[in-house]
Parts: sequence; C-alpha cells; structure tokens
Amino acid sequence: MAGFLSTYGFLIVSMVMGALLGLSLYLPLMTGQLSLASPGFYALGGYIAAILSTQVFKVSDGLYPIGLVLLEMSIAGVVSGVLGVLVGIPALRLRGIYLAIATIAFVEVLRVLSLNLDITGGAVGIFGIPQPFLTPIEYLWIVIPLLLMSMVLLYRLERIRLGRAFTAIREDELAAGAMGIDPTYYKVLAFTLGAILAGVVGAVSAHFLNTWNARQGTFDASIVYLTSVLIGGTRTFVGPVLGGMVFTALPEVLRAIADTAGLPLWLAQFLRDGRLIIFGLLIVLGTIFFPQGLVTPDLFKRRKDRKSQS
Amino acid sequence: MDITLFVQQFLNGLSIGSIYAIFALGYTLIFSILGIINFAHGALFTLGAYFTYALMGEAFGLNGLLANAALPVKLPFALALILGSALAGLVGVAVERIAFRPLRRKRADSLLTVVSSLGVALVIVNLIQYLVGAENYTFPGNTYGNLPAAINFGTAEKPIPIRTVQVVIFGVSVVILTILTYFINRTKYGKAMKAVAEDPITASLLGINTDGFIVLTFFISSFLAGLAGTLVASSVSIPGPYFGIAFGLKGLAVIVLGGLGSIPGAVLGGVVIGLIEAFVPADYSAYKDAFAFGILFIMLLVRPQGLLGRRFVQKV
Amino acid sequence: MKKTAVRTSALFVAFAFLLSACTQTNSGPAPTTTTNPSPTAGSSNAIPIGIALALTSNVALLGQEGVAGAKIAEKYFNDKGGIDGTPIKLVIQDTGGEEAGAINAFQTLITQSQVVGIVGPTLSQQAFSADPIAERAKVPVLGASNTAKGIPEIGDYVARVSAPVAIVAPNSVKAALKINPNIKKVAVFYAQNDAFSKSETGTFQETVKEQGLDVVTVQKFQTTDTDFQTQATNAINLKPDLIIISGLATDGGNLVRQLRELGYKNIIIGGNGFNTSSIFTVCKALCDGVLVAQAYSPDHVNEINKTFRTTYLNQYKKEPPQFSAQAFAAVQVYVEALQALDKKSEISKLPLAQLRTELNKQLLAGKYDTPLGEIAFTPVGDVIQKDFYVAQLKVDKDGNNGKFAFLK
Repeated sequence: MAGFLSTYGFLIVSMVMGALLGLSLYLPLMTGQLSLASPGFYALGGYIAAILSTQVFKVSDGLYPIGLVLLEMSIAGVVSGVLGVLVGIPALRLRGIYLAIATIAFVEVLRVLSLNLDITGGAVGIFGIPQPFLTPIEYLWIVIPLLLMSMVLLYRLERIRLGRAFTAIREDELAAGAMGIDPTYYKVLAFTLGAILAGVVGAVSAHFLNTWNARQGTFDASIVYLTSVLIGGTRTFVGPVLGGMVFTALPEVLRAIADTAGLPLWLAQFLRDGRLIIFGLLIVLGTIFFPQGLVTPDLFKRRKDRKSQS
Repeated sequence: MDITLFVQQFLNGLSIGSIYAIFALGYTLIFSILGIINFAHGALFTLGAYFTYALMGEAFGLNGLLANAALPVKLPFALALILGSALAGLVGVAVERIAFRPLRRKRADSLLTVVSSLGVALVIVNLIQYLVGAENYTFPGNTYGNLPAAINFGTAEKPIPIRTVQVVIFGVSVVILTILTYFINRTKYGKAMKAVAEDPITASLLGINTDGFIVLTFFISSFLAGLAGTLVASSVSIPGPYFGIAFGLKGLAVIVLGGLGSIPGAVLGGVVIGLIEAFVPADYSAYKDAFAFGILFIMLLVRPQGLLGRRFVQKV
Repeated sequence: MKKTAVRTSALFVAFAFLLSACTQTNSGPAPTTTTNPSPTAGSSNAIPIGIALALTSNVALLGQEGVAGAKIAEKYFNDKGGIDGTPIKLVIQDTGGEEAGAINAFQTLITQSQVVGIVGPTLSQQAFSADPIAERAKVPVLGASNTAKGIPEIGDYVARVSAPVAIVAPNSVKAALKINPNIKKVAVFYAQNDAFSKSETGTFQETVKEQGLDVVTVQKFQTTDTDFQTQATNAINLKPDLIIISGLATDGGNLVRQLRELGYKNIIIGGNGFNTSSIFTVCKALCDGVLVAQAYSPDHVNEINKTFRTTYLNQYKKEPPQFSAQAFAAVQVYVEALQALDKKSEISKLPLAQLRTELNKQLLAGKYDTPLGEIAFTPVGDVIQKDFYVAQLKVDKDGNNGKFAFLK
C-alpha cells in the first residue's frame, strides 16, 4: 500500500484537481454557457501563488507554512473573481460557440502576456516554488476539503432558488427572463464562481508542480476538461467530478497496463507508444455511447426507486 | 511610413494571411453546412501533407513503425497533390461515418460533436507519430520546377521579395474560393447542399439524400484540408504530426472573424489576421498573437456574426 | 432503460479492470517493468537505470533522439560486460511534453522500477517540476538536454551533461568574424517561448557587443511558427552582414530557408538547437554555409565516439545528433560511476537507498571520456566540458546529403 501511495500519490492529487477543474467548467455550464476560460484563471492563480511564495513571503528554511498557502489561495480566488466579473459582463452577452471562442481568445491573450512579462519569468517561468508538504500525497489535506466544500456547495446550489434560476436559464433563457429572472446577473455569477474555483486550484497547483510557466492552463488543457465534463455528464455535479478524475487518470492507467508483466511485447509497445491513440478512441466512443454523459440524474433516481422497492 | 516598407508589410500580411485562408476554407465549409466545428480538420490537413509526401516516393525516418519505408512509385508533385488530397478526403468521409453520423442520428448536443472530433484529431495525430515518428519532412527541392524562390514586387534598389510558394498559395486560395462559391450557388449539387444546411428534415422530404450530401461536404472539406496541408508544407515543410493542429486555434479565429460559415469570410478573415500580424511593430512582434486574439475578442463583442456572416447563425 | 443498465454495468466492469491493472503492477515484489527489449533485459538482477524522456507530444523528436543514444549506450556497455558482469537495464518511461507527465514518469521509475538513477526529462521546464521529486526521494538525476539556468541548483541529486550556453555561443561569432572581418551590422532572431533559446540569445547579444558590432534588430518568434516572412523581411531591410538565430531545428531551419529564399546572402549563425542532422531535412540545400556552435561533434576524435558514431550511422543512416550523444554520455556516466563504486564495495549488497546516495556522490567526483569529449562535474552538478566546436553545414546541390564540417 505504501508503495502504491508513493507511486500514485501525485496522480491521486492530480485526479482531485482534475475534478475541481471539471467543476469550474461545469458552473457556467449550469446556466447553459460553454466557457473555456477556466484554464486562464487557473494559470493566473498559479502565477499569483508562484510570485507570492518566491518573492513576497520568503520562508528561508523548512516547510512552507500551510497558512500562507491558504492565504495565496484566497488572494488568487479574489483576483480571479474580480477579473471574472470584468470579463464576464461583456463576454456573457455571447452564446454558444461564440462565447466559447471569446473565452479561448481571452486565454490566449493571457498566455501571450505571461510569456512576455518579466514578472512571470517568460518561457522559463517561475521555479523553486517552496513546498508545504514532504510528499505529494499530503496535498490531499488541501484538495480534499476543497473538493468536499465545492461539492456540498453545488449540492445545495442545485436545490435552492439560485440553482433553479440557473437551470431555468439553461432550459430557456427567454422564458426565464420573462419570469423575472435576470439572466445576465445569474450567468455572470456562475461564470465568476467558476473563475474563482479555477484560480484557487491554480494556486495549489503551482506548489504541487514545483514550477509554473506559460505552458500551464492553455487551450489544450481546456479541451481535456471540456471532454471530461461532457463525458462525465453535464446534468449533475457528480458528472464533472467523476469525469475529471477518470480523464486525469486515464493516460497513467494506460501506462500502468502497458507495464503489466506477461503482455506480448508488441501489445505492451503499442500500449505505451500508442497510449494517446487509445485515449482518443475512448473519447470518440464515450461521446457516441454516452451522449448524456456517464453520470445522469436518472442514475440516482433509479437507485432510489430500487431501494424503495426492496 | 515609407511607401516601400508599407507595400512590403502589406504583401507580407497577404502572404501570412493566405496560409490562414487556405486552412480555413474547408474548415468553414463544414460549419456552413452542418453548423459544427470540426476540430479534426487540422489533423486531416496534416494527413494530406504526409500522403503527398509518401506518394512522391520519399522515404520516412527511422523512429516510427514504418521505419525507412517508401512507396515504390515516385509521382510528380501535381499528381501526388491531387491523389494525396483525395485520400485525405476519403479519410474525412470515414471520420464522418465513425464520429459524426452516430451523434447526428441521436440528435446529440452539438457540443458533443466538438468533443468527438477532438478525439478523432488525437487518434490521427498520434497514429501518424506511431507510424512515421515525429521527424520533420520536407518535399524535394524541385517541387515547383524552375520557378525562382522569390518574386520581387519592388524595384532593383528597393526590393520587395515575396516567396513564390506563398504567391501560389494565395492564388490557389482565390481559385478555391471562386470554385466553391460557384459550386454552392450555381450548381444543382450546391443548391441541394444549401437546402440540407437550411433544414435537413425538409430537404429529405423533398427527396434530397441528406446523408449523401453530408458525406459529399465532408469529402470536399477534407480534400481541401489535404490540399491546403500539402501546399503549406511545400512552403514550410512538415514539422511533425502536430503540424495542422497548430493552425487550429488561429484557424478558428480566422473563420469567426470572417463570419462563421461564410466562405468568402474565411479568406477575408485570414487576410485581415495576416495584415494585423504584419503591421504589429517589430518591437512588439512577440505580442502579435495577443493582438490577433484581442481583436477577435472585441470583434465578437461588437459584431458576433463576423465580417461577412449572417446575423442568425444560431445552430450551436 | 434496460440499455442504460447494461451500459452502466459495462462501465463499472471497465473501471474494475482498470483499477486492478493499477494495483497489479504494484503487487509483485520485484519491479515488473521491463520496458526495453534489450538482449540482456531478461536477466533478473540487471541494474535498472531510468530514462524519462518525451516520446509523445510535440517535443517527441528530441526525446526519441535521446532514447536512441541511450539504447546504444545500453548495448555497448552490456557487451563490454556491464558492471563487473552484471548488465544494466534501461527502463524507459514517456514523459510527454508536460510537467505532470514528467512527475508521473519519475514517480513510476523511482518507486516501481526501483531505478538507481534517472536520465531526463526532455524540457528544462519539466526538469523544474520533476527534479525536486527525485531530490526528495534522494535519487540521482542527470539531465541530458536541460540547459536552462538553475537546473543543477535544484538540489544535490540533480546534475546534467548538457552544457549551458554561455560557453558555447561566443566561439561561433568569432568564427564568423574570421570568415568575414568586415561584419558590422548584426540581426538577431530568437524563439521566445523556448527557455533555452531565450538564454542563448542573451549570450549571443553580449558577445556581439563585446566584439564591437551593432545589433540592428532583435526579432522574436515562437517555436511553433512556420512562416517568417515578416520577421525575415524586417531584418533584411536593415541589410545586416550577419544573422544569428537561436531556435530549435524545425523553426530555425525554416527561418534559414525563408531568409535565403528572400534573398539574404551573408553569413548565418545557428544556435545549439541547430545541432542535429534533422536540420538538413528542413532547409536542405539552403542550409549550406550556416555556422553552428556545438557541444558535440560527430568528428570528435576518441575511441568511444568512433564506436558510438559508427553504431548510430549503421542503425539510423545519418550522423548522430547532439541529443543522442548527450543521452549516451549520461548513461555512460552512470555505468562508469557504478563500476567505480563497485570496486569500493560490492553494489549488489548495498541497499537501494544507500546505493543511490553513494552513486550520486561517486558520479559527481568522476571524470569521463565520453563522445562529447572529456567531461566532469562542478560540486553543484553542472557539467564541465572541455571541447566545444564550431561547424559549418555543408550540403550538396540536391540537398540530400548534409554534414557538419568541423572548423578551426
């Protein structure tokens, strides 16, 4: 077990982070808005933590205090939130693919800026970010509470007036507006919540990866999260959580299968070098066979029905 | 600004823009008919270039499964170009069968087709890498016969050189634009395609074979992708399996700027982004992508239908 | 409804399968990873050395070149008897192009494959992310292609055989001045999203100023760019006598080709990224005459380089690139350090943790005669390399045969 944890500790924490980023994409999707801005806020949060921990809060020796990490996370959350409102108000007048493209443009602009500014370290980025823990697995102390909090919040959210307003906008924005729901307000709210979550996760991630650079949180990353949310399921928050975990783990699981002893050499070779081919095939098959996503609200309903029968 | 410099930058912009335009033509065609963005377009673009390279009888490197393999035939460039593009077109048809048709049958959310096309792109790119490695491949030097490497649009004292291959790409883009516009607006097939685009159910009630025309659209679009991939590769070589994917994001900006689904818009959008990039002052050249995407962002807020798009493209 | 139930259960079966695969690899007492089908890999007591390079993603080419060199080293040293009769065994893990992939590969190598040391990762940015993992686990890491500033300083267990740029670059500027003493105006190009090119161009620009030349323009591009029309004509308009390019082979080669096609006739200097024979496939005949500062030359005269070069030529039909030579050298450093260690105390009896620590100490202390020439390490783990080269690219008319012609 100890060996398992030390090999897969990093992966397990990555999976939880994948789930959190899935949720940050899911939040605007609750109002029917496809935003791919999460990676941009994720990158921003990471830079905030990286700059603060290497240049402002200098801790000479030993482990970096967890309190400071939490402080960085809050600052990253606040900054991302403010930027989220500023970008959200104009951008959320757009819908569908137009909104998606506008957010892609926003992420690209951030990326080019981080590549060129001095404070972000250009192409090399920022390295030597201090560690609050001795092993990667201990990051669970931060990310698990964060995930639980987000999930509880979303669970509540899906059941109160606010969540119903989100759903109403998703189903029919015009009708919702006619019923006295202000669509712009709720859309910007959902977008900003997603931005805050992505920024906070970015701040943890900077410590977790030891380094931060302009290659973090790019368009490619948003594609992975979009895939995980859509295949996970977009009708309940459990979908993105599960999807985020599965899609973060999948390449590593394929690596582990390739290393299994006793496989024919050609198969092991294919599993290793052709890992991403399989990954792509699974994405295609996933969308075709699970167009509603893996986790649908029906799934829970059926469970309940069965329970009440027995 | 000095007039020579201005003309030079203007032509530079056209030259860069022509690459974006030729990439975007097939990309936007699928959108205009099916209302979806096909992220596998970049992968088909790459594939076309590799097919042409192989058909010219050139050998592959040693890192893939097909180490040092070469076809026994050595076709001339023009023939290989047509055949290679046709092969890319056939792959496009297969992609439609496997990744798009099942979702269309289920009337799935059109976002899912985006994801599924991304999956296809991932498969194609990595399959290329698995088979022929990540190396760079360049077409033989005499691809364009005895044409000079560059054409001087200025005077002998104040030269304004543009590489011949870029002029060819620009010319081909304009030709494709003309043919496509004629085909869609003037021929029976084109009109049927348009009917399918407007309303597939009514179109099928009118006796139009909807699936058939969607397949045709995919073939044409992927053929154009392969053609564009080969021509761009003849200008800049094939830098590896990620060749076309790298154009995907800029290509998206181009077709949105020009107007999603508008075929002349793809060329106009490409040229506009090319000009923006060319006129960014040299000191800020590192920010040229930020300029391009910043303008795209503002454009979307001001005029989401793009330069030449129609107001009500609300399919996605 | 029934259909969904079938699907859902299929899904859970799939999960169970994947999960069991995850644990299965871990359950055996001995490391089950036998990644590389080498003639000796079958023997159970072979000493595992981890290779964590990018075999997928858009930096795969660099990783593939590295693996090629490492494999030649594995065969070469095992044929010579390995470490006192015990063969070595490379365990290759793909890092992909991202930071997380590098960390995962390192973790797998350290805990599952129980390697004595690691060669990698491919990119400097990945090294900043993954090397601290090895440092904390007290496993030696040798970078074979990481050249950014600050890599050996990550920790005691981190060293590299890839020379940083400051020493290599000035030589080529001097060589250009020797060819044309009238050089006055210099245009500089660099790939601004590549960590290595960015630091290299700094060195080039300083050298140019020290030589009393004018930098008339600095043009930036991205390694993913393919069209350089604007940057090229901007520079050519200033009529430079010399152009210096810091970039990778593909983008750099394309830039050379487009500069030449647009009518630039004077000298071009390429940075260390040009230092691979794959440059010839990009600019073909138009590469001819480009000067390249090198940390490795296939023409280097020593016994081991001769063998390395011949083996590489036989297998891949072209001159070995620098990354292959550096990966070879990294494996060689491990092998010779293990041999030296074995003479002191038999390594098969050392517990793994102690072996790793001792190996780290030993490899920093040694001197090695590698294909790169003689190398040693500074106390912090940076490479001390004796020989640097300036080569001129020589390509025949049809562009099919190119080679590095050694200057000086």
